[in-house]
Amino acid sequence: MIATNVRRLGFYLILTFALVSGSLVWWQVIEAPNLAVRADNPEVIAARRSLMRGSIFDATGQLLASSEVTDGLSRRTYTDPAFTHVIGYASFRFGTTGIERAFEDLLVGQTDPNPLRDLLNDVLAREPQPRDLTLTIDRRLQDFAAQQLGGDAGAVVALDPSTGAVLAIVSTPTFDATPLSGDPETAQEPMDALRENPAEPLLARARQGRYVPGSIMKAFTAAAALDAGVITPSTTYPEQPRQESEGFVVEGFTIREHDLGGIQPALWPLSEALQVSSNIFFAHVGLDLGGEAFLDYARRFGFCEASEIGPPGRALAVAPSYVSEAVDDGCGPFSDEVELASAAFGQGRTRVTPMQMALVAAAIAGDGVMPHPYVVRDVRTHAEADSPSDTVLERFTSRGGSRVIGRQAARDVRSAMVDAVNGELGRPFAGQGDITLYGISDARSAGKTGTAQLGGEQAPHSWFIGFAPAQDEAEPSIAIAVLVESGASSSGRAAPIAGEVMAEWLRLSAQEGG
Amino acid sequence: MRITWRGTELGLLIPILLLVPFGFAVTHVALSGTFEAGSLELALGYVALIVGAHLALVAFGHRGDQLILPAVGAMGGIGLIMLNRLPQDLAGTSALGFQLGMAATQLLWFGVGIVAMLVIAVGLRDDGILRHYKYTWAAIGIGLLVATMVFGYEVNGARLWIDLGPVSVQPGELIKIVLVIFVAAYLAETRTILTSARVRIGFLSIPPLPYFLPMLALLAIVMLIVVRLNDLGTALLFFGTFLTMLFVATGRRSYVLIGLVLFAGASYVAYQLFGHVQARFNIWLDPFADPLGAGFQPVRAIYALGRGGIFGEGLGQGLVTLGGNLTIPFVHTDFIFTAIAEELGLLGAFALLALVAVLVFRGLRIAALARDDFGGLLAVGLTTSLGIQALIIIAGNTKLIPLTGITLPFVSYGGSSVLASFVMVGLLLAISHRSALGTDAEASS
Repeated sequence: MIATNVRRLGFYLILTFALVSGSLVWWQVIEAPNLAVRADNPEVIAARRSLMRGSIFDATGQLLASSEVTDGLSRRTYTDPAFTHVIGYASFRFGTTGIERAFEDLLVGQTDPNPLRDLLNDVLAREPQPRDLTLTIDRRLQDFAAQQLGGDAGAVVALDPSTGAVLAIVSTPTFDATPLSGDPETAQEPMDALRENPAEPLLARARQGRYVPGSIMKAFTAAAALDAGVITPSTTYPEQPRQESEGFVVEGFTIREHDLGGIQPALWPLSEALQVSSNIFFAHVGLDLGGEAFLDYARRFGFCEASEIGPPGRALAVAPSYVSEAVDDGCGPFSDEVELASAAFGQGRTRVTPMQMALVAAAIAGDGVMPHPYVVRDVRTHAEADSPSDTVLERFTSRGGSRVIGRQAARDVRSAMVDAVNGELGRPFAGQGDITLYGISDARSAGKTGTAQLGGEQAPHSWFIGFAPAQDEAEPSIAIAVLVESGASSSGRAAPIAGEVMAEWLRLSAQEGG
Repeated sequence: MRITWRGTELGLLIPILLLVPFGFAVTHVALSGTFEAGSLELALGYVALIVGAHLALVAFGHRGDQLILPAVGAMGGIGLIMLNRLPQDLAGTSALGFQLGMAATQLLWFGVGIVAMLVIAVGLRDDGILRHYKYTWAAIGIGLLVATMVFGYEVNGARLWIDLGPVSVQPGELIKIVLVIFVAAYLAETRTILTSARVRIGFLSIPPLPYFLPMLALLAIVMLIVVRLNDLGTALLFFGTFLTMLFVATGRRSYVLIGLVLFAGASYVAYQLFGHVQARFNIWLDPFADPLGAGFQPVRAIYALGRGGIFGEGLGQGLVTLGGNLTIPFVHTDFIFTAIAEELGLLGAFALLALVAVLVFRGLRIAALARDDFGGLLAVGLTTSLGIQALIIIAGNTKLIPLTGITLPFVSYGGSSVLASFVMVGLLLAISHRSALGTDAEASS
């Protein structure tokens, strides 16, 4: 009796054994190829740990990052902390950021820039060939900008307005990324220290930091209103001189002028209004332009959505800048006239990245064409030495730009910005951005300062956007945005930094040419 | 007593035992990168133990099954090769002034287990002590269970351990044995009283109360284990073993079905009520949802299976550690099967599965040939308990069922598990020996 039941039990157990065997076949045979390529497979992680990574050079061929494989562990050395926030880091513990992340597959050689060769490598199962990158950034300018910021928290973004090539992109405070790469065990402690540092050295302020822009926004407001035909360079507002002292009442809220430093109010057109940075004038301009047109121009200039520093497909993320309340798909409508008028002079709910404001400066410098920024110039075969190889595999160049305003409107703003730096009324405010103060005699700069009022006890942020050379028919070779956190307590910190960096760039370019 | 040559056993043991030192040597070559065999003391110690067990059975004239010891010896050998290959500081003991690594500690437990097996296999001449004191066994089992709930401490979320000074024991392993003894005795007795009595409630025919009540009681105990001790594996094992024994005793599939439905219902209630049950179930459904957190262990185990492929990465060549950390946490207990499948591939995994099958089907053969109902049911209980335990943990390794923290008998690291498994094999051998003697007696009369 029991024997019969035992036989039946045996049959069921055979079924169970078969089922378990089937599940083994599933993972060890059928699914094995899929499992083998998943990024969190320890085999893949182990392979990555010993993978050689290509070097990164600056525009002049100076070594910025290189790797060495010792004891099966690939260690990366970064030569210049001024580049940390753009190059990023390749850490086995904390992942990969910045250019290291965007160009990961090329750096480790998983992909060949040439699609045909890429396919061939795949078919022949060739060993990965690491590739080197050359940046558009000139290390001399990058270091110079970092020195200018010194111990202050802030950012400098400098672009070639005609191509969009990033000339310098500095965020301070910065840190040495070398200890984060290499052995994952020893990387935790330095990372903890960085995370706990109240100065937030991990924040890439130039593209991820968002700040109230203050008066630099007036350059944008002027550009939009001129292009829309709402104002001309000679437009004035009859009630403006009186409102400079009494205030401008919008929907029951009184907009007040900032401290004009003893300048007597007068009937100011655009140039003078930009020189003294009149809040009242630009409040009128913003209201005349209207909320919808203001938002429309803001979107054209790249506000209201996340953007990128290319080349496309391999981009560094730039946080979205806002001119009104942030909503899911960008900038929401202005809640009232007061908010619109405030946005027109850079207060209200405006929050912008230094990168975005450098692009605004570049668009004005480029006669209304805003360039697409990019930071990697080419991909080369890997050089064992400390200088780049001569074999360029792929070159990234300017992708032109997008026209955001007409040429004449851009020219009119440019002329007003030249006055803001060099003019009689402007000098007390933005004169420190004049490149002739820093050893340049044959060129002029254009610019606009900003002081971001934050309310409360906090010292306002100091801003400057500008470009050079800007005199007459000169073609600007550098457009810049400078932000210094809490840097506007006495005189603005940003304007002299911008002036110095622009002057340095003109000097460096002259050396190259001569 | 007469010496009985056990030729089949010896013939099977020779190749198996040659393979153990060979496996140690291959592992050492792969790990050290040199062409040296390395230290073989543990391997030779293991060979000596198994040969000693064989000789003891021969010397005492044991007539029991000759395939069980080779199957068990092979499983233990593969396990020891693997445990010796893993980092030795994963476990171990510092008792008696010695500092022993994991493999050495396991070998020590093999020694204790084999002695226990021999004592039972040879010494248990009469099963009366098992059969007649069934309520005492049940009381001991429940007592141990309560003790675990009160004095137990948690490892990896499940409260399975009791600390006894120098050693920690898992009472679950002992409870398993007394449970099987009690159920076998109970069912053997009830079976003779009731033949086909049925209770009908309307259309529904439920098992007679003498079957139904213990089923409910056991279900309650099992659910208590799940909820209080967070030990899904043991619960599944207890209930599965009970249902199998019930099936063999009554021959009714419907009882098993009712039991499974009850189990499913109770599981659903536990799932609804208790967070940790829910969490475990969700990890099982989609471990890749949180591959670095809750799903870490199962995901890493699946990767290891994939790395093994059909032929395996080779002994000593699996990716056991990464940057000083185990790629699969608890590889020496919960995932020893996966580690073997990684290094020996699908073929090695099948071989290990086949050894489990040999053990199970020889155990069932012993049950079928048993002299009486009690012996048969006891053999069924012991066999399925060992077999189901192996299948539960292997199926958990391959994500066929939710992962549980039970051991793979004779293979996983763990003193309580090794000891309990050898005790069970000792009981099987004793039953087998008695029926062999009986057959002889019938033949000679």
